Amino acid sequence: MTDDAIAAGRTTRRGVLAGGVSLLGAGCLGGTGGGDTDTPSLTDHPVGGNLGEQPTLGPDPAEATATIVAFEDPSCPRCAAFESSTVPEIRSELVEPGTAAFVSRTIPVVYPWGEPAIQALEATYARDADAFWALLDHYFDEQDAFDAANVLDRTESFLHDETDVDATAVVADAESEAYDDAVQIDRSAGEAADVSATPTVFLFRDGQYRTRATGSVSFDLVTRALEL
Amino acid sequence: MISLPTRGDDWRLMGRTARLVLGVPTYALGGLVAAALALTGFVLSQNLALTSDVVAGRVPASVVPQLYPFVGTSYGPLTGSVVVLVSLLVGVDVALVAYHVREHRLSAGGSGGSVVGVLLGTLGAGCAACGSAVLAGLLSLVGAAGVLTLLPLDGLEFALLALAALVLSIHWLADGMRGGEIRGCPVDLKE
Repeated sequence: MTDDAIAAGRTTRRGVLAGGVSLLGAGCLGGTGGGDTDTPSLTDHPVGGNLGEQPTLGPDPAEATATIVAFEDPSCPRCAAFESSTVPEIRSELVEPGTAAFVSRTIPVVYPWGEPAIQALEATYARDADAFWALLDHYFDEQDAFDAANVLDRTESFLHDETDVDATAVVADAESEAYDDAVQIDRSAGEAADVSATPTVFLFRDGQYRTRATGSVSFDLVTRALEL
Repeated sequence: MISLPTRGDDWRLMGRTARLVLGVPTYALGGLVAAALALTGFVLSQNLALTSDVVAGRVPASVVPQLYPFVGTSYGPLTGSVVVLVSLLVGVDVALVAYHVREHRLSAGGSGGSVVGVLLGTLGAGCAACGSAVLAGLLSLVGAAGVLTLLPLDGLEFALLALAALVLSIHWLADGMRGGEIRGCPVDLKE
């Protein structure tokens, strides 16, 4: 084979590879960008709708110095990393002193078991907020043990053993998607705000949108962005 | 036939070529700058909205270092190491391409593998960092969201592909420079 022929063969092979990768890359990286040019208020921002009905830790988001709205999927590995590396500090350093409100919004985007888990979370939250947070922590703590076949059985066992809610009723509601309206509210908020990856946190300071960050970002990033 | 680095001599040739090229301060510096740019590109591409808010002055610039591996918490130790390694290999790759083109007066046309490496690196860093979430969205377009369950490393597979692409690129470059001289030293192992 001549050098030219070899070069042509390499160009073609690489061209195909580059084209395919560019396509995948565009899909993978799209949706995490596109910064907002204005700074809407918490109430005007797509993620700020129905906040009163969302699981919230700390002060009232409408009155808090800062508000952190986190989109997470119980089946997302980076969310589990975010929950173990950053959320504990957010709770102890910002939420408990009353500086910031932490709002949880759950969307199913990663593994299939995230969908029934989120149905169960909404059914649990409708009964008891504390049980919701306990179940959310449980999903992240034991993430590797869950799959689509066992998620509701394990959920029932946990709720029965560790909380006061009616575990059987929660699982029945999750199976019948009785609280699908609540699931869809979060899903719609995520779509409106162009959330396609989890975890994604939206940061508000004094009721005004400050920025958003995707990935298991650090506590320092959160406090620096919020200037706290 | 595609040349793959399957023999020990191939790896020694790659190492020798990289060592000789990076022994030239200009190319070492250029490679370092390329590696830093690659790493910056990888990490900032995950958070374009935050980056634009920093550029616009809405958010303090002090948040930016927090996006990097081993400074912030966006990358685990394994993913962070692979992303840094990919970036360093991009630097080596760029230095080799630059040397090959400038000193051996060859066109860059035969060095497209480094472009593939950079693209794969971006894809890998992205998917590894976001837990494959966006890839899941992409796959669901063709009804194949369940395919994600076939990725046991949660997207790190793409960063490893980037590593493989860069190694191949460096191998092809070193192979292409065989028979030439770098700083008066023969590239070929047979001295």
